[in-house]
Order: sequence, then structure tokens, then C-alpha cells
Amino acid sequence: VPGGEGLAEVRIVQPTFMLRADGPARLSLLATLNLEGATIEDGELTPGAWGEGFVDRRHPHTYLHELLLTADDLLRGADGPTRISLSVGKGFAPFGTDDPMTRPVLRYPVNHHLAQILERAVAIAAVHRGGVSGEIGLFNGDEPERPGQWPRIGGRFGDSWAARLTAEPVAGLELQGSHAHVHSPEHRPGAGTDQTKWSLSGRWEGVVERRPAYALVEWARTSEAGGFFVYSSLLAEGAWSAGRHRLHYRFERTERPEEQRVSDFRSLRPHLENSILGITRWTIHTAGYSAPRLERGGAAVQPLVEISLGRIGKVGGGLFDVRQLYGKESFWSWTLGVRLGFGGGTHRMGRYGAAMGGGGLHQHRDAR
Amino acid sequence: MRHRRIIARALLVATLALVPAGCGDGPTGPLPPPGRTLAVAGGGNNVPDRYTSDLWVHGSHAYTGTWGASPRGGNAGNVLKIWSLDGTGAPSLVDSIVIPEITTVSDVEVSTDGAVLMFSAELGRNEGLYLYDLADPAAPAFLDSVHVEEGLHTATFGEIGGRRYAFAAKNAPNPALRIFDVTDPAGIVPAATVPVPPHYGIHDTYVRDGLAFVFAWDTGVIIYDVGNGIRGGSPTSPVEVSRLITEVGIAKHPAVHNGWWFHNPVAEEARYLFIGQEGPGIIGDEASGDIHVVDVSDLANPREVASFTLSGAGTHNFWMDEARQILYAAYYNGGVVALDVSGTLSGNLADRLIDRIEPGGDDNTYTWSVQLANGSLYASDMLSGLWQIAVE
Repeated sequence: VPGGEGLAEVRIVQPTFMLRADGPARLSLLATLNLEGATIEDGELTPGAWGEGFVDRRHPHTYLHELLLTADDLLRGADGPTRISLSVGKGFAPFGTDDPMTRPVLRYPVNHHLAQILERAVAIAAVHRGGVSGEIGLFNGDEPERPGQWPRIGGRFGDSWAARLTAEPVAGLELQGSHAHVHSPEHRPGAGTDQTKWSLSGRWEGVVERRPAYALVEWARTSEAGGFFVYSSLLAEGAWSAGRHRLHYRFERTERPEEQRVSDFRSLRPHLENSILGITRWTIHTAGYSAPRLERGGAAVQPLVEISLGRIGKVGGGLFDVRQLYGKESFWSWTLGVRLGFGGGTHRMGRYGAAMGGGGLHQHRDAR
Repeated sequence: MRHRRIIARALLVATLALVPAGCGDGPTGPLPPPGRTLAVAGGGNNVPDRYTSDLWVHGSHAYTGTWGASPRGGNAGNVLKIWSLDGTGAPSLVDSIVIPEITTVSDVEVSTDGAVLMFSAELGRNEGLYLYDLADPAAPAFLDSVHVEEGLHTATFGEIGGRRYAFAAKNAPNPALRIFDVTDPAGIVPAATVPVPPHYGIHDTYVRDGLAFVFAWDTGVIIYDVGNGIRGGSPTSPVEVSRLITEVGIAKHPAVHNGWWFHNPVAEEARYLFIGQEGPGIIGDEASGDIHVVDVSDLANPREVASFTLSGAGTHNFWMDEARQILYAAYYNGGVVALDVSGTLSGNLADRLIDRIEPGGDDNTYTWSVQLANGSLYASDMLSGLWQIAVE
């Protein structure tokens, strides 16, 4: 951590409650509550994490993570096998890959703010036909500033858009490409720099030696201030279950801005200007093991251990000095934890209505 | 990034070749100033412990601030450096004032009579406004200070109605023009607070002839009557005259940062307001932002008429040699730019570039401020300290 020392802490992370209710006329309501505002008010120690004024700590999500009302298959049989839906509410813009919370690795990747756009007021139209889905959505560009904050709808809703195309060429393999323009994400009144974002990914779920397996490869790129700042990310992760044991691994190489800090783990908000101190590249290997789940009465407990090894490099010029801040250019961290789950499976965050495809439940995630 | 700098240099060479043929696209009125060259005369590489911020020169002494949003050698920007200027004008460090619990000395100025040193401070428990007595200019003595929550980005003296005021830029959230009566420098008295829209707020103020030009980022420039008489305003009750949002250019935002209202003694007019745009930057390496020229001959209806771009670099603070009609602009990684601003200004001012210098060299220049004093140009450079530059 900043200062060159180590830091250890105990936290309850990703406390999430999900609800899905199906109503008449193909209406459905999807809700996700996230209590991190109470459990990690000052963030979660996460190497490389940044965004929403936090740095080297992952910020807590908003209490209301998702609340989506979806009208699915709007034309019913009139459009044959085509399925069209409209979703409105608060949630993910149709951009990028699944929320890290629903993926096997516990530790959030550095690229969270490059690879997902979340907690916005959204209106999303989706169409699905023959293994291909397309989504387009309007939303407010501003990131939330605190867990209890609502998206700024007045004056901001519709100032940003995203579109995503997803195809499943063979069973279990999903290819995704998406593009977004986000207005002033880091300055709620709207004076901040705009972002242009791209994401490409391939996601596979299948069986290896009769054991469930999962793999994801993604590339993300964010260009900010008309291309003055460019941040790229390459990430690959996988999981394989052997009986009741599960192994997972992730490789990530992601660039992030180095902003002026007001303390070890906070950057200056609101911004005074559009300058940064430099850009760093975080290369991290993360491997983990999950022990067999213990289940009783609908509740599940699953111990896990995870270790990350990484290196920080500087990209280009600027005053930021990795060694001066951290005392070294490599780091490691480990996590010992227990996943707790109750009730049924969780939905696949960030895809709504026709974009959910036929599935929606993911065997490699758990409530934690 | 390196690629951009090479491009900028190539453009500069091409532009300089035009200078001997005559500056400007047909300026009217008096002849433009003769070509001048900028050359290092003294100083430099003299603040290794901290990054240097703003600058003020008065008489035989200079004062520079320090910037600490990224500590240098572990040191915050909590120091004001005091320099003695020798007979040639070369600076040598004589003393420092350390202000605990601040991160940056963001602006420095000496009153016109040389009696009071003022500086603003931000980021830290002691952020705010500071005044020092300059009876001994080598050893400023503390007079008074006022704490301002969120800090002050800049502070500018204004002499109005026989009293002296400090016009200060309060940072966001709740950015505002804060005006203090500092006629008695040992007893700072708040005079007025004028809220500024939080886009990102106010960065600098230029006060002259009873008008305050407030440089308010994406809100643009706001002109207040603070004693001029055209709207009945005063320092305790400023009245807005007009406002203008300048062009965004490649910076994508107006990012109105600073300015200078040019009183041209040759043309006997006060027609042009020069505005510095602070675009995106990677501090210490790369910057962006243009010089915008606004015609304020009708103060109620200012309009942008010209601009100057230095590719691969961005402008910061200004100083003017009004008699010679030359604008000197600190230009971060571009060093210091001298621009011929004689005659009528219109369109692209690329051919008005007189000279440019990177005092610390290619990888050691990120110039914050400039000031012409005692026949020399002084430049404070974040990386390489205080420089004396000969203007020949």
C-alpha cells in the first residue's frame, strides 16, 4: 500500500441480495441490493483498484445496485422467433462483460471501470434472434459518489449511450463486442471529460473431463478527453471444478490514471482540473481455491483462499513515481475468506430482457 | 507523447522562419515590436526538494511557491521560497517559509507598493489566505491569515476606492469568488462571497480599473463591476457585467483558467482580454490548452476574435510587456512563449509567435508562471525551479 508497508484487514464484501419477480404480460422486476455502503464504507483493500474517488481500495457499490422493470417479448408471436424487450430502471448499461461480483475470482480486477458501466439510470432496448442479441441503451454518464446516491436523472439522463452485440456461435461460447460514449463520468454536474469505450470478449462455459469449466478473455479500451488519455486492459480468467473443489485463475494487464490524492486511498473529488500525474500499468496474476461447500437448509458456506502477485509499471511520462509511492514495483496479497450463500442462484448482472438469453443463472458465482 | 513534442518542434521551426518577414497578418496601426529572443541568463535547477508553483518578483527579491499534489522526495508543497536577485538579476535562495498542514502554495503576489506579500494555499487543514509584511523583503513577517475550507486556488490584489482587496478563488465544492478587505493587512476582513457554478468553478481572477475578470473553467469568463461604475458594483457587492464561454478547441472543454486585460499604450485602447485555457495534461510531461483572445471593447458583449495554439503543449499563467505589446505565457511542457499582440488580432495567431524557450531543456521543463521585472523575464518551472531569462 502507499508508504511501502503492508496492510491487513477483515471485511464483509459483496453482501448482495437479489430478487426477481415475474408478473403478468411478460413483465418482470429485477432487484439487487448491495450493503457494501455499510460493510466497507472506506472501501475494500484491492491492489490497483480505482474509481469514484477511491484508489488502491475498491469503492463500495450503491445500496440499490439494480432495479429493473422489463417488458419482455414485446411483440409476442408477431415477430416469430425474435424476442424484443425494453428495460428501464437502475442498473448496468449494455457495455462490456459481466460484473466481477458474478465471476469466480473474489478480488475485483483493476479494469472494473474500463470494462463495465453500472449503477446508472438506464433505458435499454434489446433484441434476440437465433443466438444473436443486440442491445442499445441510454443512461446518465455520472458515476455515483456515495452508496446512498441516486443517478442524476435531471440534466444527465440520456447524455450517454452504449450498444452491445452478443453472439453464441456454438453452445457455451459467447462473443461480445460493445461501444459506449460516456459524458463526464467523474464529475456529476457534467464538467468532466468524456469517455469513449470499447470492449471485446469471449466467454465460454462448458465441461472439461466431465467437470464444469469457465473461461473469459476480454479486451477493453477507454479513450478520455478526445484521446488525450487512453487506458487499455487485457484480462483472461478461468475456473475449473474438480468434484466439490474449485480452482480459478486470472491474468490481467490494465492501465489506470494516477490522480492527485488527498490521502493514501482517496483522490481529489470534485476535480479542479483535467490533469493527472501519470498512467500506470498493473500486471496481476491471481489464483484461488475454493473448498467444498457445506450446505444446510438452503444456506451454503464455502471457504476459499486467493493469492495475487503483481507488478506496477509506469506508462509514459508524468510526475507519478511508483517507487516513491509504494516503495517497490511488485506486490503480493492474499485473501482468506468464506463465501456465504442463501436461497437460489443469482442472476447474471448487466443483461436484461432479451439480452439474458435463455440462461441467466451462472454456476460459477455465489452470494458472498 | 514524445511524438507530439517532436511535431510541436517541427511546427515551431516552420513558424519562426516566418518571423523575420514580419509579424502578423497585417496588423494595423503602429509597427509591431521587433523580434525578440529568449535566452537563459541565470538561475534554474535550484529547487530540487520540491516542485515549484507560482512566482512573484518585486524589487531585488523574488518569491516562489511549491506544489505538492504529488510529493517530490517525500516533501509536500508547503514552502514559500525567498530569493535575492543580484546586480545581474540572477536569483539565489536566501530563506524559506514553511506552512504546516498545506499541500500547495498555489499563488503568490506582492502588493504594488511592495509592502505586503500574499499567497494562497490549498489542500490541508491550514489552507486559505496568508499575508506577510515585507519591511525586510528577505525576511517576511507574518501578518494575518484566514482559513478557507477547501482552499484557495489563487489570490489577486485589487486597489479600489483607496482600499486594498484580495480577490480569491475558492475551490469546489461550492466554488466562489471570495473577496477580502486587506487594507489593514494585519486584520483580514471578509468583504464578499460570489458563488460560481461548479463546472469546475473558479481558477483565477484579474482585477483592473474596478473590473474583476473571473476565470471560471467551463462557465467561461465572468466580468464583474467591483468599483468601475458601469453597473454600480463594489468589492462588497460585485455586479455582473457579462460572461462569455470561449471555444473548446482540442481540449474539448473551455477550461477557462487565467487571463490578462491588455491596456495597449501604443494603440491607446483596452480592447483585448487574453484568456488561458488549461486543457487535459499529464503533469510534468504533457499539456494542452490554447490562448484565446476576447474583444472586450464592448464589455457588455465580449466576443472571441483570435486564438493561439502550440501543438503538444498547453498554456498557463501570463505576463505582459504592455509597452512593447508582447504577451509572455508560461506554457508548461512548452516552456515560455513570447507572442506579438500588437495591432489588430484576428483568427489564428500562429504567425505572432516571437520566440519560445524551454528553460530546463526538453525533459526538465514544465513552466507554471512568468513575470517581467527589472528588464528580465522570470519563470517558475515546476521541475527546474526559478529561472532568469534574458529578453533581447
